[in-house]
Amino acid sequence: MSKLLEVRDLTKRFESGGGLFSKPRSMHAVNGVSFDLHKGKIVGVVGESGCGKSTLARLILRLIEPTSGSLCFKGEDLMAKSAAQMRALRKEMQMVFQDPYSCIDPRYTVAQAISEPLQIHGLSKDLDLNKEVAQLLEKVGMNPALADSYPHQLSGGQKQRVSIARALALNPSLLVLDEPTASLDVSVQAQIISLLEKLRDELDLTYLFISHDLSLVEYFCDEIIVMYLGKVVEHLPDTNTPAQHPYTRTLLDSTFEPDPNKRREITALEGEVPSPFNLPPGCSFAARCQHSTSLCHEQVPPLEVQGSHRVACHHPLVAS
Amino acid sequence: MIAIKKTKSVYQRLAGLSVVRAFGSTMGKISGGLMILLVFVAIFAPWIAPFDYASQDLLNANLAPAWPHVLGTDEFGRDVLSRLIYGARTSLSVSATAIFISITAGMTLGAAAGYFGGTFERVVMTVVDLTWSFPDILIALIFVAILGPGLTSTMFAIAIAYLAQFTRLTRAQIVRLKNETFIEATINLGAKPRHILWRHLLPNALSPVIVVGMLAIGDGIVLEATLGFFGLGAQPPTPSWGAMMSSGTAQLFLAPWVIIFPGVVVALTVISVNLFGDELINSLDIRERMRED
Repeated sequence: MSKLLEVRDLTKRFESGGGLFSKPRSMHAVNGVSFDLHKGKIVGVVGESGCGKSTLARLILRLIEPTSGSLCFKGEDLMAKSAAQMRALRKEMQMVFQDPYSCIDPRYTVAQAISEPLQIHGLSKDLDLNKEVAQLLEKVGMNPALADSYPHQLSGGQKQRVSIARALALNPSLLVLDEPTASLDVSVQAQIISLLEKLRDELDLTYLFISHDLSLVEYFCDEIIVMYLGKVVEHLPDTNTPAQHPYTRTLLDSTFEPDPNKRREITALEGEVPSPFNLPPGCSFAARCQHSTSLCHEQVPPLEVQGSHRVACHHPLVAS
Repeated sequence: MIAIKKTKSVYQRLAGLSVVRAFGSTMGKISGGLMILLVFVAIFAPWIAPFDYASQDLLNANLAPAWPHVLGTDEFGRDVLSRLIYGARTSLSVSATAIFISITAGMTLGAAAGYFGGTFERVVMTVVDLTWSFPDILIALIFVAILGPGLTSTMFAIAIAYLAQFTRLTRAQIVRLKNETFIEATINLGAKPRHILWRHLLPNALSPVIVVGMLAIGDGIVLEATLGFFGLGAQPPTPSWGAMMSSGTAQLFLAPWVIIFPGVVVALTVISVNLFGDELINSLDIRERMRED
């Protein structure tokens, strides 16, 4: 299994405030995140809103400059690339954004939006753009006759298909999906997910799937990375491995069960997420954790590796 | 079947199509028609004007409107209608040129400030805001002092008077658009800053600037007339609507037509430009456009 992307100690601090007389406060959006992305896999990143998932996605694509850490894509050090080299490399790694309503220029028709990446990379001269656009639209299950429509004439699902087609135009090997279904109806979500599954098989893609929907991630992804307050708290190598981190367990328990006979009591998390401006000295989940001890409040638990399963907890739960 | 090459003509579509569509309503037809008429009159002034605008006929000074001087004559016996027709040339060209300079400079500065941000933005905006704190007349006076009275000074004065408006407007648009997801998405496609600025930021920032520009042309005509009224603009015998009104004040009760007709023409022009600007606001909205189709 070949590594497509290697993320090591990726950290992003945002400075905020700070004036003439006050020091800027720094906020840890992403804090020392490491993982590998293997070719052909779908890796899901889950966590509550504000835990740094989307920032992580943008850091990996260098849409935001990381504060520190290293990124290795296909054996090449991304952090060492110049702006021009990075632009050329973007062909290989594309992103689908959360909000399909604002991710296409309102002045562009579907055909213009989809052919834009080809024009940017100077590929439009050798290609029959009309044919290319029609093919891409068919690939994402859209009627090529819609090529001349404007984004506001399309539904949310159609727009998301257009942005997937646009991302695929350059034949990328990595697709970062930043909550691609979060703003869609449930029925449309299912269509998009099955489209993504189909495309992965057809085009040999690798996905980094960012979501806050744990049941969707469990269904769709091969590996699951759970983030809490900018850190990886657990990395499950497959969906069968039982979760050991209390946070992951709570998240899993909080997903709704459609079958009323199987429905169980949902244990809601107490308390609030600590402020990322002012991280607690120990485990950042300690204040909300039922199993926390004084050790948890004092020491940051390291991300311990057990085979391919990684968990950052002083008192990992035993499989029940 | 699918027209893709359209990307090139984003500006053409904006300027061409929207302006054409602004004629769709009754108001658009009336105001737009009046504007076209004025431009036509200005261009073909030598063929339309019944008399020479500069030839004096002191025996026939201050004649009331009657044939052959349809709108009467002024204190030197010059035909008011002919002077109005030639005055359209001065007023329209000075105002339009000044606003064009203002828009070009303002959009460049505003786009650069909004796009690059940082110290550059602060310096540009401070300087531009500074021009806003001076009254238009004062700026004109400065230019008259440097360049001497005349149309060039008037043009620069008008251009600078409106510079801040366009710079601020463009900057605000660019700053807003810069944070839109579609800009991030385009960066992620590997687009160069130039591509993002020219293909996405500026076309999307253009429509409000065009509308404000349209309204500013109306204001520019008034400002040109004001400067002309004070003798800072067009120098005699070049006719300008403002200068004509100025000379009319002397015999306001003796020959009121000398001041009334230029005033009416200025008012009509400004009203039609503003009304057409309103129509343009609607027709520039791409969503509105689609709904009508």
